[in-house]
Amino acid sequence: MRRDLTLVIVLWAIVSIVSVGVAVFVMDPFPAVGAEESELIDEAFMVMTYMGAPVFAIVIAVLMIALWKWRASGPPAEGEDGPPILGTNWFPKAWLAASAVLAVVVMIYPGLTGLAELREDDTAEMRVEVTSVSWQWLINYPDHDGIRLSSGAGDEMVLPAHTRIQFDVEALDILHSFWVPAFRQKIDAVPGQTTVLYTTVTETGSYEDDVAYRIQCAELCGLNHTDMAMKVRVVERDEFDEWVAAQHASAAKVR
Amino acid sequence: MPAIARAPIVQGLIFGIVGFLIGIAGTGLVRVAFLGRDGGDWWSTDLSWTIGYPVALVGWLIGVGGWRYWGREWFGGEVDQYEMKGWQRYFGFSPDHKVIGIQYVVTFTLLFLLSGLTVMLVRYELAQSGLQLFNNDTYNAAMSFHGITMVAVAVAILAGGFGNYVLPLQIGAQDMAFPRLNALTFWLVPPVAILLVTAVLMGGWETGWSAYPPLANLQTKPGQVLFNLAVITFGLVSILGAINFLVTVIYERAPGMTWGRLPIFTWGIFAASLIAFFFTQAFAAGLAMILFDRVLGTSFFNASGGGSAILYQHVFWFYSHPAVYVMVLPAFGLILEILSHLSRKPLFAYRWAVGGMIGIVALSGVVWAHHMFTSGMQDYLHAPFLVLTELISIPTGLIFLAAIGTIWAGRLWVNVPMLFALGFLFNFLMGGITGIYLADVPTDLFLHDTYFVVAHFHYTIMGGEIFALMAATYFWFPKMTGRMYSERLGQLHFWMMFIGFQLVFLPMFDVGIKGMNRRVADFPSAYDDFNLFITLSAFFLGASFIPFTWNLVVSWIRGPKAEANPYRASTLEWQVSSPPPEHNFPEIPEVVGPPYPYGQPDVRHVPGPAGAAGAPAGGGGGGGG
Repeated sequence: MRRDLTLVIVLWAIVSIVSVGVAVFVMDPFPAVGAEESELIDEAFMVMTYMGAPVFAIVIAVLMIALWKWRASGPPAEGEDGPPILGTNWFPKAWLAASAVLAVVVMIYPGLTGLAELREDDTAEMRVEVTSVSWQWLINYPDHDGIRLSSGAGDEMVLPAHTRIQFDVEALDILHSFWVPAFRQKIDAVPGQTTVLYTTVTETGSYEDDVAYRIQCAELCGLNHTDMAMKVRVVERDEFDEWVAAQHASAAKVR
Repeated sequence: MPAIARAPIVQGLIFGIVGFLIGIAGTGLVRVAFLGRDGGDWWSTDLSWTIGYPVALVGWLIGVGGWRYWGREWFGGEVDQYEMKGWQRYFGFSPDHKVIGIQYVVTFTLLFLLSGLTVMLVRYELAQSGLQLFNNDTYNAAMSFHGITMVAVAVAILAGGFGNYVLPLQIGAQDMAFPRLNALTFWLVPPVAILLVTAVLMGGWETGWSAYPPLANLQTKPGQVLFNLAVITFGLVSILGAINFLVTVIYERAPGMTWGRLPIFTWGIFAASLIAFFFTQAFAAGLAMILFDRVLGTSFFNASGGGSAILYQHVFWFYSHPAVYVMVLPAFGLILEILSHLSRKPLFAYRWAVGGMIGIVALSGVVWAHHMFTSGMQDYLHAPFLVLTELISIPTGLIFLAAIGTIWAGRLWVNVPMLFALGFLFNFLMGGITGIYLADVPTDLFLHDTYFVVAHFHYTIMGGEIFALMAATYFWFPKMTGRMYSERLGQLHFWMMFIGFQLVFLPMFDVGIKGMNRRVADFPSAYDDFNLFITLSAFFLGASFIPFTWNLVVSWIRGPKAEANPYRASTLEWQVSSPPPEHNFPEIPEVVGPPYPYGQPDVRHVPGPAGAAGAPAGGGGGGGG
């Protein structure tokens, strides 16, 4: 019994370390990091992976040792039972306490702290109006004298790098969801109300670099939900200003 | 009258069709005579189905046996005897819980295989970017059909099937508390299947299984109405079944079967029934409100009429999150049951495991909004639902404690049911840990609606509950059919299914994090490699059900005869013949001790000969095949 316990602790440690090792050195799951919030969320993801590793490992360790040491072939003979360990002692209480502590820890960090951080700043340097209608994205730049883009026309949403942006999201008909994987967060577009998402865009990037630079509808919206996407391009500030000027010029030409 | 016309299913169909015609004719008459709606057209798909179907359902229930075996009695007539024997019993109105259990298992296994074949087509479509097999429309129909049928299978097959068959035996009862209600409940299931298949044949519906309005209100496809009617009917199945289980467990336990001596599988069914009883009506109400919006012109969910789309999500998830515990609590009970018998150990921390189940029941009702972190609901709801959702890991941890404590130092007979039970532990562990990412708001804002979610819930429901279902199918196969399955084919099935399952769903976590969203027919070609790999693995996983089906069909027909107690297990269902005699026990057994008295020579669950628990006792008649 004591030897088995030692073995399980050793296995537990090994599986935990290997799991964390895999998470750190082998896994490379994240798409392009296009916003400050992306860094926060990716970090929260990894923290949970580190916390999950020993939980995963304790069950795996017991499964391994059970299959290795206590495996029997064929039906049991008369009286060939395991020891009657009923678990009526202190152990379940300790387990309960440990799992409660773990649950409380993970809900505080990275949960509630991350939530607070995402919510603490409700100011922005620029506003973008995102209107969804089956099955298109319509982008409006109210700070730049009404530049209007639409996914139906094959436009790209262009944003300036290193800028905190407030997306005001609306739906004209049914539910859609505004999501740029490079920026991580998503928010539903709800008929009859305006939902808001703040994103601090950082580096430059485009759909050609990483498909995470796209608006993707993330709420099933019927027939062409699949195709309800729009490319996103994040450019440096001066390039963005040139783009705005060009948009104004071509709009003037049309007029 | 020819014999075939007396067959319950035929009579049910005739009465059902007559009922449907009466319903739509009445609707049509009123529309033409009084309403002049749509230019006085007698037919309106939404309205005609909404009124025709309930009348058809009543006709079906009357025809299939509700009158002959039940209703006639009230009006002073003689009810028919249940005269059918052998295989024919399974096609009739039988109040025997063992017949009903097999009816559920076979019906939902067929639905499971049909839905599995559908998803093979879905995976074929997703093997590469672009559209191959489907267009956007048919893809949505196939994906939605897969979703709702698998949800129905997951809700009903363990409780309805194995709960019905095993629970009365385990508690020493002769049948369920309400046998005729039990039969009636089962016969509500075929209309559900017929409606869903008809909906697909009529072009399907677009909303997945979750039916979010306003899309569900506004889409013109008639399949949406059939879907709503089907799911409301299915909700009725769930509620009536739950009432029957609750009353049976409370009132029909054998002498000496105290709450502290209940086998853990029975506890799992009891806990799941509590949830089904309390919460199912929310889902049914939500779907009824959609029907009202469509047919009666209300505006529960239309913003333009003062309604709210988010309201539906609250109502829907208020049931649909607890529903995952309706699926999984019986699986917990089942796995602990099998681990105890096949490790030949008493269930470790039995009372804590039961406490865990009740804890899950209690918490299940207060976590629903974690499905809505991105929905635009009130911002102040995020933190409390994050906290409450994380709490549910604590009672679930007790289930895992009981599992690993039970296999500790046991004598593990690693046969097919044991393999599936251990596979369940691995898969549910993965599903549970990845659930944490979806409970914490920051990561959920990212991962919601991606393939990460798809992988997570398949790990809990398919890797969890369906693995438990397979464990149950093999474990109780000798009891239910009187024949043994092939161990070798079963092991082949397990390894194909276990490996195939990991190869399908592990990469889905990754591609989800990389930005692939769910419920799409097409995706950027950057995800091509992942999806081709997943599709090939899915075909391998699908192929694992060939040895499964072959094994069970052939073994049922001509497998070797099974002993009463092939596992030398201690609980009551193993103390009677395989299959059990007609009223289960020649005389009502007396329970004298805990359910899993392994390793304690002086302790018994039921009085029996000396030696280890589980020697056949009180045999009874030799099977009724």
